[in-house]
Amino acid sequence: METKKNRTMSRRDLLRGTAGAAAFTIVPSHVLAGAAGQRPSDKLNLAAIGIGGMGAYNISQCSTENFVALCDVDDAYAAKVFDKFPNAKKYKDFRVMLDKEDKNIDGVVIATPDHTHYVVAMACLKHGKHIYLQKPLAHSILEVRKLTEAARAAKVQTQMGNQGHSSDEIRMLYEWIADGAIGPVREVYTWSDRPVGGDPWSDFPVMARPKDTPPVPATLDWDLWLGPAQYRPYHPVYCPTTWRGWWDFGTGALGDMGCHILDPAFWTLKLGHPTRVEATTTHYQPEVASETYPRAAIIRYEFPARGDMPPVKLTWLDGRLLPPRPQDLEPGRRLEGNGALLIGDKGTIMHGSHGAGGVRIIPEVKMKAYIRPNKAIPRVKGGQSGHEQDWIRACKDGKPASSSFDYGGPLTEMVLLGVLAMRVKDTPLEYDPVNLKVANNSEANKYINPVFREGWAL
Amino acid sequence: MKEKKLTRRGFMGAAAGVAAFTVVPRSVLGGAGQTPPSEKVNIAGVGIGGQGGSDLRSLEKETNIVALCDVDWRHASGCFKRYPNAKQYKDFREMLDKEDKNIDGVVVGTPDHMHAIVSIAAMKRGKHVYCEKPLTHTVREARMMAEIARERKLATQMGNQGQAGEEVRLLCETIWDGAIGQVREVHVWTDRPLNGTNKWYWPQGVDRPTGEDPIPESLNWDLWLGPAPMRPYKNRVYNPFVWRGWWDFGTGALGDIGCHSLDPVFRALKLGYPTSVEACCTMVNNETYPVASRVTYEFPARGDLAPVTVHWCDGGMRAPRPPELEDGRRLDTNGTLFVGDKGKMLNGRLLPESRQKEYGRPPKKLERSPGHYTEWVIACKGGKPAGSNFPDHAGLLAQVVLLGNVALRPALKEPKVFGTKLLWDAKEFKFTNMPEANQYLTKAYREGWAI
Repeated sequence: METKKNRTMSRRDLLRGTAGAAAFTIVPSHVLAGAAGQRPSDKLNLAAIGIGGMGAYNISQCSTENFVALCDVDDAYAAKVFDKFPNAKKYKDFRVMLDKEDKNIDGVVIATPDHTHYVVAMACLKHGKHIYLQKPLAHSILEVRKLTEAARAAKVQTQMGNQGHSSDEIRMLYEWIADGAIGPVREVYTWSDRPVGGDPWSDFPVMARPKDTPPVPATLDWDLWLGPAQYRPYHPVYCPTTWRGWWDFGTGALGDMGCHILDPAFWTLKLGHPTRVEATTTHYQPEVASETYPRAAIIRYEFPARGDMPPVKLTWLDGRLLPPRPQDLEPGRRLEGNGALLIGDKGTIMHGSHGAGGVRIIPEVKMKAYIRPNKAIPRVKGGQSGHEQDWIRACKDGKPASSSFDYGGPLTEMVLLGVLAMRVKDTPLEYDPVNLKVANNSEANKYINPVFREGWAL
Repeated sequence: MKEKKLTRRGFMGAAAGVAAFTVVPRSVLGGAGQTPPSEKVNIAGVGIGGQGGSDLRSLEKETNIVALCDVDWRHASGCFKRYPNAKQYKDFREMLDKEDKNIDGVVVGTPDHMHAIVSIAAMKRGKHVYCEKPLTHTVREARMMAEIARERKLATQMGNQGQAGEEVRLLCETIWDGAIGQVREVHVWTDRPLNGTNKWYWPQGVDRPTGEDPIPESLNWDLWLGPAPMRPYKNRVYNPFVWRGWWDFGTGALGDIGCHSLDPVFRALKLGYPTSVEACCTMVNNETYPVASRVTYEFPARGDLAPVTVHWCDGGMRAPRPPELEDGRRLDTNGTLFVGDKGKMLNGRLLPESRQKEYGRPPKKLERSPGHYTEWVIACKGGKPAGSNFPDHAGLLAQVVLLGNVALRPALKEPKVFGTKLLWDAKEFKFTNMPEANQYLTKAYREGWAI
């Protein structure tokens, strides 16, 4: 214990730069940034930004480490978490925190609303911090691409908060698909009951922009909450929870759940970039449609052949819409509110929301008769619940986490392309992933590359 | 035999003997309707403020409009003015009693929940009936309407005017000509109810408002409710027109548009009853239909025709884009797509448009219509049955449309049956795999109201 403490202490001193700056200058920066040479028993010093909601959970999953700084634009919303960490420094502005705590933190857990993922994460990367970032990776496709590239260049450890990607089941699915359990897959259906699933984080209103302007709560820095988004007066319909439904802040039901539900097909079928995507949505009034996501949408993606895998048509349905009931599903067996169907030439696989949860070949007789292949993909310790710890492990041993930005980035780009298609619905979009352009629709392109408010740079 | 099948009468599924009737005056058959071809039919209108009034205008040249009935005389005032000689009533029962001897037929343009009540009362008195679409409020009522009209040999017509048009005939002839091969899949979609976004549409996915407004003097609210459970009057929430979105009164987007847009599908593919119906939708409650829904019907093989799946979609969502659709062309807000083994037809035209141009016109096999309303007038005079008569066509079409609404019932959707397919036994008139669904084939009628 003594040695561990010593090591920890010495490292902390090193990071804090208290004992004498001169000595540290000879320490290569990548040692600090990449934490190479650090032992698993060493504790990381972490900060968190956006801590009132999902961030609180992520923080609790990282409780093995030290939280030295916490940041939230709303003191009241963050109060519960602030109280849990009396010794952590408290901040409202993540930029101030990163400046002041630069030497004290190794990594940052980020769980702000979607529209500030990019600016927060990019700032952390510039400071060379490891990042755990909630899904979806960012609010627009260009932001995602830039973050993915910046993370790679910074050589830090990253993890996107699609915790299902650490599950045992998604690995099982990978092995079954590779084993040819259902033959080549040409068709995939994915669906979600959001935005009315009954979860306060995911349910959002479909409405026009409110005209009343209630006072900004004293605890909230509204300007900072808006971040790079265009200015609008404060209203409780945006924060703390229902920002998901607004084009300017969230990414709708697809952005919310797509990174979970599309993840298994994206990974196991090696889908990559789609060539074509088209959205159709419920109709709504122009003054509502310009502000919030629809009550329901159907997104249809087309992916080209990959190696010996045939082209795939993937359909996303939300708002409680469902795919046609598969022939193979036994009578009486229900489709869950969130799930996916992978339809192969020789059979069908059904799974639930996160990390291919509850994955089964249907019908059950076929599942039972299936001789499972040997485990080929290493499991993540703790499975889905170990997702945050997998990032911590990565920070310490330098081997990428399960859903590092190199994976989470392309996954989110695919998801956000569907979100983009909703902006120009009922129009097929041909996507050029190299140049980040929709080849056949100029209107669509302006949503790839958003305009930031003055003072915020993309 | 094949030739015969392809005649219009044949594909409507009329009884073989019907052909003989065309030259025989209706009176000879002993059925109701004594009007000789040379005279005008005397008709009455029930529910005349909206589409019912429009129907009367379409019939005014060929008929005598002798009585008018509406539960809201203010709403009906325009129609009253147009036909100053017609007697005016608020209660259709009173009208039928008093005018029994003076009327040959009744035009029903009430809200959906009254269709069967009014139509069946009229038919039981031997009156011919023109009834707006969808034929009825419940599946059972639609079947009853067809049975009663058949038994009493009455002239009937549902208000799906498109059935009389040239487009549906060209569509049928093109498909029967084999232009797209066997059809196994059809997509039909509509933008209704458009989320209530303009005055032509109505809200769905909303809850019942609280409170009560004073009932306008011109309106008999109790009579407007008819067989529906009593509820407080609320200004502009239920009437006029916006009753469509409420379970108790209307039939939603599917009921409103299904009888129009599924009609050509039934005719071209000679559909009968489906074997299954499956539905999903946005959040639905016990008050109104959902903002958007998808309904899938499976129809078995019919003779040489392959089994076919019909996908319905409303609320603004559209079918998957067919690859044959030219770049730059978009799917319309409302549409129908036939997917055949050898090609596709979108809104009655082959895809792509160049194929349609190359194909030209199909061989003419179907008789053309003298007009939707004239068809009914001819039938009232003992002539040929109208194209959307209840026994041969409209009863079936409406039943199938309304089966979709049964599958949308909130109680059947959650929690245990998310994504369940209802298996339909048409002969036994029941769902075989979910007995609790059968209650929604009919409804409870308020005391004093029975069919």
